[in-house]
Amino acid sequence: MAPDALEMNALLGRVALDRDRAAFAALFTHFAPRIKAYLLRLGAPAAVAEDLAQEALLNLWRKAHLFDPAKASAATWLFTIARNLRIDAIRREKRPELDPDDFMPEAGPAADEGLAQAEDETRLRIALKDLPADQIQVVELSFFADKPHSQIAAELGIPLGTVKSRLRLAMARLKRVLGEVE
Amino acid sequence: MIHHHPDDELLLAYAGGAADEALGLIVATHLAYCPACRAGAAKLDAIGGSLLAGLPPAPLAAGALDAALAKLDQPFERRPRSVSQDGTPGILRSYIGGDLRDVRWRQMGPRLSYVSLFRRGAVSARLLRGTPGADSGAHSHEGQEYTVVLRGGFTDATGNYGPGDLQVMDGGTRHNVVADPGEDCINLAVTTGKLKFESLLQRIAAPLFGF
Repeated sequence: MAPDALEMNALLGRVALDRDRAAFAALFTHFAPRIKAYLLRLGAPAAVAEDLAQEALLNLWRKAHLFDPAKASAATWLFTIARNLRIDAIRREKRPELDPDDFMPEAGPAADEGLAQAEDETRLRIALKDLPADQIQVVELSFFADKPHSQIAAELGIPLGTVKSRLRLAMARLKRVLGEVE
Repeated sequence: MIHHHPDDELLLAYAGGAADEALGLIVATHLAYCPACRAGAAKLDAIGGSLLAGLPPAPLAAGALDAALAKLDQPFERRPRSVSQDGTPGILRSYIGGDLRDVRWRQMGPRLSYVSLFRRGAVSARLLRGTPGADSGAHSHEGQEYTVVLRGGFTDATGNYGPGDLQVMDGGTRHNVVADPGEDCINLAVTTGKLKFESLLQRIAAPLFGF
C-alpha cells in the first residue's frame, strides 16, 4: 500500500504553513513520478512529461496556501494541477477553471470534510481495484485518453452504448463509496 | 433554482480533461452557478486523484529533485485578484475582459445582440442578449448547441431556462427561443456547427453575423 493519503495531506499542510522543504521533497518524491506516468499515459513525450511533472510540483509549492483539505486530498489537488498544465502546454488551450474569488453558495454543510477527503481517496482506490476489468478500463480511459467516448468505443471495438453503460455502472459504484445518496 | 444540468458524460469530459476549451467554458460557467454540480465535479476529480495515486511511478531523470528544490526560491507572479462588480462569473470575465456590464454588444436586429468570445474551427463561443420577448426565430443545428443562461431567462418547447441552467440541443433538433419577460436574457452559447434558420431574412442575415 502506498503512503497514506492523510500523511500526504499533512506534508502539504507543512509546505503551506511552514514552507517546509523536507515536506516538499517527500511530496515530490512520491508524486512527481506518478504525474510523469499520468502524462506519459496521455501520450506526452518523455521530456515534456518530465518538465510538466516538475512544473506541477513547483505549482504545489507556490499555491500551497490555496490547498483546502476540506475540498480535496493532496493527490486530487495535484491531479487537477497536472490535468490543467497538460491542457495548457500540450493542447495549447486554456482550461476554463472556476475562479476561487467568485462568490459561490455551497451545497450544504461540510462536516469533518478535512479528514473525509483523504479517507475517501483511500476508499476510492480500494473500490477502483474492485471494479470489473471492463469497467475500470473505461473509467481509466475517461481520465487518461483525452478522447470523447465515441472514439474510445471505436478503439475498443464496442458500441458507444456499451461504453456508456459500463461507465454508468462504475460511476454509480464509485459515487456510493463517496457516500452519494442516489 | 437550477433545473437543467450537464449529464454525467459532460461532467466527466470536463473532469477528465477531454472537453475542449469551449465545452470546458460551458461546464465551468454552469458550475459557477450550481453547487450540486460542483460537488459532483469534485467527486470526479477525486476519482482522477485516486487513479493518479494508483499509477505505477515513472522514474524521473537523475537530479530532478535537486533541480526542483533549486527553483523554489525563484520569484513568481501571483495572479492579480479581480473581483466582479456585477456578479459575472470569474471564468467569463477572463474571456470578456471585464464584467457583463462592460460588454460592447453588436446589434443584430431590434431585440437581439451578441458578442463573439472566441472561435476554434467550427466551434464558436458567444454571448447572446435578447430584450424581453425577443424571438430567435425557428432554427436547427448542424452540430450541437450548448447554452448557459447568465441573466434573465428564456423559454422554448423543451422548457423554461433561468440563470445557471444549461440547455444542450443536438444536431438536427429544432427550436425557437423566446426571452422571458422581466430583465434582458443574457446567455453564453457554444455551437459546434452552423445554425440553420428557417426564415429567408435570417438565412440571408446569419452569415453576416458569423452564425
